[in-house]
Order: sequence, then structure tokens, then C-alpha cells
Amino acid sequence: MLQITYRLLSRALNVHVNTAKEMLYEYHKYQNAQKANSIHATYLVYGVKNREASQEDGDVDMASSMPDQDETPDVVHTNTLTLVREEDLTETLAAYESVSSLYVYSLAPHPQRDLAMLSDIAKSLAEYTIKEQDVSVAAKKFGTILNPHARRRDRAARPKVAASAQAKPPKPAPSATKAPAAPVEDKVKAEPKPTGKLKREGSAPSSKESTPAPGPKPAALKRGGSGGIMQSFAKAASQPKKPQVQPKEEEHTALSDDGEADDDDIAAEKPLKESASARTSRKEREERLRQMMEEDDDDDAADAEKDEHEDGNADDEEMEDAPAPEAEAAEEPKNGEPSEVVSSTGDGRRRGKRKVMKKKRILDDQGYMVTIQEPGWESFSEDEAPAPAKKAKPAPTPTSSAPAKSKKPTGKGGAQGSLMSFFSKK
Amino acid sequence: MVKLEDVADTLLSQPSNSAHTVQTRPASTYKPLSTYKLDKGRSYQQQYGDMYFLRLTKIRPAVEEVAEAEWSGTVVAGEEAKRVDRVLDVKQGELCWVVGTIFMAMPLKPDILEDVSKDRWISAPVVPEKYFSNPEENEIMLEDDSGRIRLAGDLLKTVDLVTGCIIAVMGTENTNGDLEIVDIQLPNLPPQPERWKLTKPVKKDEDEEMADSSQGAGSKIAIVSGLSFSASDASHGLELNLLLEYLLGEALGPQGQSDVSQISRLIIAGDSIDAAQADEQPEKKGAKKYGYDASAYNALPSQLFDEFLSELLPTIPVTLMPGAQDPANASYPQQPIHAAMFPTARAYAQVPGSKEPGWFDTTTNPWEAEVDGWRMLGTGGQNVDDVFKYVESDDRLSMMEAMCRWRCVAPTAPDTLWSYPFQDDDPFVIKTCPHLYFVGNQPEFGTRVIHGPDDQSVRLITVPSFAQSKEIVIVDTETLDVSTVQIVAR
Repeated sequence: MLQITYRLLSRALNVHVNTAKEMLYEYHKYQNAQKANSIHATYLVYGVKNREASQEDGDVDMASSMPDQDETPDVVHTNTLTLVREEDLTETLAAYESVSSLYVYSLAPHPQRDLAMLSDIAKSLAEYTIKEQDVSVAAKKFGTILNPHARRRDRAARPKVAASAQAKPPKPAPSATKAPAAPVEDKVKAEPKPTGKLKREGSAPSSKESTPAPGPKPAALKRGGSGGIMQSFAKAASQPKKPQVQPKEEEHTALSDDGEADDDDIAAEKPLKESASARTSRKEREERLRQMMEEDDDDDAADAEKDEHEDGNADDEEMEDAPAPEAEAAEEPKNGEPSEVVSSTGDGRRRGKRKVMKKKRILDDQGYMVTIQEPGWESFSEDEAPAPAKKAKPAPTPTSSAPAKSKKPTGKGGAQGSLMSFFSKK
Repeated sequence: MVKLEDVADTLLSQPSNSAHTVQTRPASTYKPLSTYKLDKGRSYQQQYGDMYFLRLTKIRPAVEEVAEAEWSGTVVAGEEAKRVDRVLDVKQGELCWVVGTIFMAMPLKPDILEDVSKDRWISAPVVPEKYFSNPEENEIMLEDDSGRIRLAGDLLKTVDLVTGCIIAVMGTENTNGDLEIVDIQLPNLPPQPERWKLTKPVKKDEDEEMADSSQGAGSKIAIVSGLSFSASDASHGLELNLLLEYLLGEALGPQGQSDVSQISRLIIAGDSIDAAQADEQPEKKGAKKYGYDASAYNALPSQLFDEFLSELLPTIPVTLMPGAQDPANASYPQQPIHAAMFPTARAYAQVPGSKEPGWFDTTTNPWEAEVDGWRMLGTGGQNVDDVFKYVESDDRLSMMEAMCRWRCVAPTAPDTLWSYPFQDDDPFVIKTCPHLYFVGNQPEFGTRVIHGPDDQSVRLITVPSFAQSKEIVIVDTETLDVSTVQIVAR
């Protein structure tokens, strides 16, 4: 689960893919010199295989089966691109006649058993999807082949279609914190779970690396801040966690619960709905959050990018079972924030009551267990800064909330459920 | 035989600060032809019989010309072969030659008349692997608008024929009323246009020229088929990713990347979406729906495909042909997959009503175009798959060759290959010989060049299904040389 590919690294650190490949190699070499077998690589080999080794060449048996053909089938040049585990690399190379390209494709702290896992990583890449304006920029930055002839449909000519299609590419480029760029779902599916582990894993090597740091540290590596590659990746991968503190509009919760189909609609609605004030308040929250997480200033650029993707992630999150407590966390501040009665603020502490939504599980008249939410008041006493205290809250009942979660939207009553949630599979 | 030590030093290296060159792709000159486009408001009221009539009238002159040249003055056993205009005019004991349409009666071949007579209306027709079972049981007939005559003779065992192809046969009617044939003539390849008939080569600007000179060859076209984006089967998901990275030019080293940048167009020859819904959900109690159940539709495959395309499109133009599995009409010629299937990729699609082909061009299947000056003909594979059922061999390139020589891209339509009932024109007749003829979704890759009597030469390619073979085909636009790229993940 815990892996990084050159593509993800390149997007996360904003470096050229070729540099990213080299960085992975460098890191792999360095880390394994520190401690053997701590990092495992997969390699991508490209070249020409030995003739006899490649059986799948269709032309071989064709020549024999078609002796009457006036035209002898020409020898077809076949390049083979092989993704191979570190352990099998020598063996694979032996089957090659010549190799024109060989580099590290991915790194992981454990031997790669199932390469298919790597395709999940590619999904998280979509968070970094290039917006159409910066295609040429991306070509320079990441090494995607540029096509100067590419042309898009002139959207202005057909405003109606444009409006709906624009749901994906965010219209105003300047406001980076605005709508997510094409939040295609499932991207983050695999993400939430590994995050915790990732962080641990990430910090371990980084601390090691920072102390006996190699003299000629490549310039590009610095971009990742004080830590090593894994750490910077850990940050990138941990971004899906962020949305947990994002207050969400009720409607989105309801919509997202129903699954994939309506993702489009959400994206379409958002830019319209979000007023300027909502945006600024979100910025503030993000600022606080950033301080909280004590992140390096270097990562600000990356953060801005993360923010863009938050909304998209948030919708997905809830479909997972793992982040159930987070989903609650998301609700808490929303309900808490507006309705607080602070009775005393002396001696650096605030005391008072605040309104919270409490979960209550009852048996209804048909004998079904129903979880309802009731507004209630809860007294509190905390330090001046309210945000961290709130965040600490959702911890108490993660287990009980997990089963209740699935029922939540129905329990909340028809008033807020959208039409789609009515049709969702029960 | 490559050793790790040999290559590791040169290819695996630490980060260097050298600047990365931006690779650019050459332009792709592209003019799709609307040969197989159907009218939007088409009617399905017509009979299919007209198609055979049209085909025969269109191809007959060509076959007659060939046969005339070959057989005029031919004397067999003291008797000169005479030309007979209609099949019914063949007289017993007289050596003659005649042109007609082949009809194959095979025990396993679905027969609409039999279905009607046995009142089989309800169940879907069972399609066997092959119609070909026992050559003794097959009846090969030659027919035209006057009637039909059964063909006989050992020659038939050596020549593969299918329903719908138009040929000339020479022989004598025997006492059984069968035509004992001694020779067969095919229409052979139609006239082939020059390169750059419809389009003009782009004047290359400097940086393209530079890229070219470093290559020594022209730009390339990548052809892939059977991507089979699937909701349930992710077994080739990693290969699809690697393919994407390869085409984007992010995989490989700098040298390989500049090779890839020469690929100026991607042609997807059908079956991009895997329609098979393997995970049929068990019937749920209480969730009874009447009519169309929208929740049973799984949009995931087309979404994945859309993502795939929208990542590729900024860097490479894509031609998309529908295949048997794709969301297009099932009958030949398949019409373009609607751009609405691709919410993100359609930003590159053709502006409705404009003359200019889209950067992302969803086309018909079969599809004819002039790409980089070469006349191309491509199909999603149904035509070859259907011909394959008629014949004993499994040499698909020979079937493609035969279709070229029959001048018919889908001879078995409308008999066993579903087809639109054409009234005024049979577009399946190949009027101009392509330079490149490719067929998608075949079991394995293969290529061959065939030549015609008038110096025509056609490059035939069977494009394998990517889901199975993980192979893509790269065609050089200068030489029409073919190479493949195999993607292996293990």
C-alpha cells in the first residue's frame, strides 16, 4: 500500500519526471546503504528482447503457416516495456538483447508482491491533474510531451454546453483555493488508510537522513523541505486527511452517500454556491490548520494545491469505512461554531455551553434500530484557542459511530436528504 | 543478454541538474472520410436484398474485366469458354464463365428462413464459434438476380469463400445441375490513389525538422485496440497505466522519450469499454424496479476511459473507433460513439457542424481516412471475426487480404454480420485501395504487405486486443513499417 512512483513524486515535488526517477534511485541507494533491504524498488526496463525469448511475436508462426505467400512477413521490431521487481531485475535483463532505458519506477518499504497495487497509486495522481491552461507548463515541468497543435473546442461558441462542461476545469485560474479540478472519484480510495503508517514511515528515514546528511545533496532534494523523499511524499499522501476539519455543507453529505453517479453535479454546483465570504473564511481555517500541523513554509505551494483538491476528496472520504470518525469531526465544528454561549473567559480559559448534535440510537416502532441526531447543549471549558480543542473531540466514540454512519443520512430526516439519496441503494 | 552491471552505470544515475528538453510532437495530417457515416434520420424499413444487388452491380465490371483478360480464348478440352451473363443462362455441358455472388449454406450458420419456419422468435440467436464444420456438408452457391447455381469441384476446397463475395467462375454444368468449376477469378485490388491525394503535407517548421533529423524517420502512428476499461476486471489496469505513461512520454529515458514524441496520433480500434458486467448483483428483495433500472448501469468503465483520454488528449490527437463492446449501434457500419460519453475528453471533440475533424475524433467503424497522406482503412474487427467463422484456417491476415481482393470490407454483411439495410449504395465495397488496412481486436499481432496487379501495395495489420496481449502497434508514416511495443508487468 505504501509506495511512491516517479510520477507521483514528480507531481508532489514539482520536478521533472526524469529527475524524479533519479531521485528515487538516489534515495533507494542511499537508504539501502544505511540499512540493507529497507527500501524495495521496482524497475521499468525498455528495450529489445531476445528473439527466442519473445514468443508472442505473431510473425514467427505466420511465416511457417503461409509458405505460399509471395510476401514474406518482415521481421517486426518489438520493444518491450517491462515493469519488474528488484529481485527479478537481473533475470529480466537477461532476456533482453539490448536495453535503452532502465530506471526506478517505484519504491516501497516492503517487497512488492502484487504489482497491481501500483495502479492504485496512479489513481491518486489525478489530484494533480493538469489544468488545461498549463498544459505547456506541465510539459516543461514534468516532461509530458508537448503538442503545439492541440486544439480544444471553442466553448464560447456554445455557452450552454460550456457551462455544464466547465464543471471540470475550474474557470478562474487566479483563485487557487476555489473549486477542485475535476474531482474524479475513487482517486483517494486507497489513501486514507495508509496515511498514519506513512507518516511514521516517513519520519523515520527522514530523521536519519537529516543527521548524517550526505555532503553533496542534490539541489532538487531540498525542495522537499528538511525531510527525505519519503517524508515529503508522506505529506503529499496525507493531504486527504485534511478535509476532515473542513466543515461541509449538509447537502454534500447526503449526495455523496449515494455514490458515484452524481459527483459531477457536486462539482458543478460548488463554484456557484461558494460565496466570496465562504471562501475567505475557509482560507482562515486553512491557515489555522496549517499552523496546527506545523508545516514547513516550503510546502506552501504544495498546500495550495492540496486545498484545491480537498472538496473532491471530502466527498469520497465518507464512502470509506476507515474515516468514519473523521466524518463526524467534519460535522462537529459546523454545528458548534455558530451556537456557543461563552459564560466566562477569565484566566485564559473559556467556559460556557455550546450546541452540539448528539447521536441517539433508538428502536423505532417497527423494531429497526435508528440513529437520530438531536441538538443538545454541552458545557465546555477550554483554552482560548477554540479550534484545536474542537478537533480533539470526535475521538471518544469512533467504534460506535461506524455502524451508525451508514444510516445517518436517512436518520437525519427527509428535509435535508436530496432526491438522489432517496434512490440510493438501501 | 543484458547484465545489470552493464546498464546500471549508464542508465541509472543520480539527479543531475541538466536541463530537460521539452519534447514536441509533429503534426498529424488528418482527413477522415465519411464513407461509412449514416444519415441521422435513417430508416430501417428497407429490405436487405438491395445490398446484394448493389454490390454485384458495383463489383461486376471489375471482375468481368479480370476474367475477360484471363479467360478469353481459353480452350479446355477443345471447347472455348464462353461468357454467360446470367447464372440461369448456364447450359449443361457447355464450358462457360459467369459472375455472381457467393452464398454459403452451412449447417451451423444461422439461417433466418429456418428460424422463421420453425417459429423461433423468442430466444436470442445462438452464435457458434465457427460456422465451418465439415466441408462436405457445405454448399457453395453462386447467385445473381436471376437465380443461383450450386458450385462443385475440388478447387473449392483450396479457396476460402464467404457469403457475399463477388467472383467469376469458369466451369461446366454437370448432370446434377452443379457447376463443376475449373477456375476462379477475384476482382482483385481496386485502384490505389497516390499518397497525398486529399491532403497536403505540412511544411515542417524548424524544431520539427530538428526532431526529425535526430530520428532519421518520419512520425509514427500508434494503433491500439481492446483497451477494455472495466468496472470489475482490473487485471490489466497497471498495463493501462504504463501505456498512458508511455504515450505521455513520461516513461522511458530521454532517448526513449524523444522516440515516443514522434508518435503523432493514437488510433483506438474498438472495444475500449468492457461491457461485460461480471459482478451481477444478486437480486435484492424489496428493491423491485420496473422498466429501465438506472442504478444497474455502471458508469465506471466509461469514466475511466474518459480519464484516460483526457490525460492523453492535450499531448496527442486521438481517433476513436467503436467496437463490438462499445456503446454504439451494434450493426455495421457502427456510428461514432457520442461525445457525451466523454464529459472531460469532449472538450477536444469536433465542434458540431464544423468541417474540421476534431482533435479527439470519434469515428465510424469501419473507418476510412487519409492520415499523413496515406489512405487508411480500419475496422474494429467484427468483419474479420465473422469471415473467420466461415473458413477453416485461422490466418486472419489472409482473410484481410481476401477482403481486399474481393473489394469488400464486410462481405458477410448483411447475412451473418449485422448491418444497416443500405438502399442506394453499398459502402462496404472498397472503391479505393487503402495503403494501410488494420483490423482491431484480433487474437494476435500480425502484419504483411500484399501487392496488386497495378503496383498497389497494402500494409495489412491485425491489431491485438490490448487487454489480452498488452501490445500496441506503431506504424511509421514514411515507410509504413510496423513495430510493436509490448508492455509487461510482473
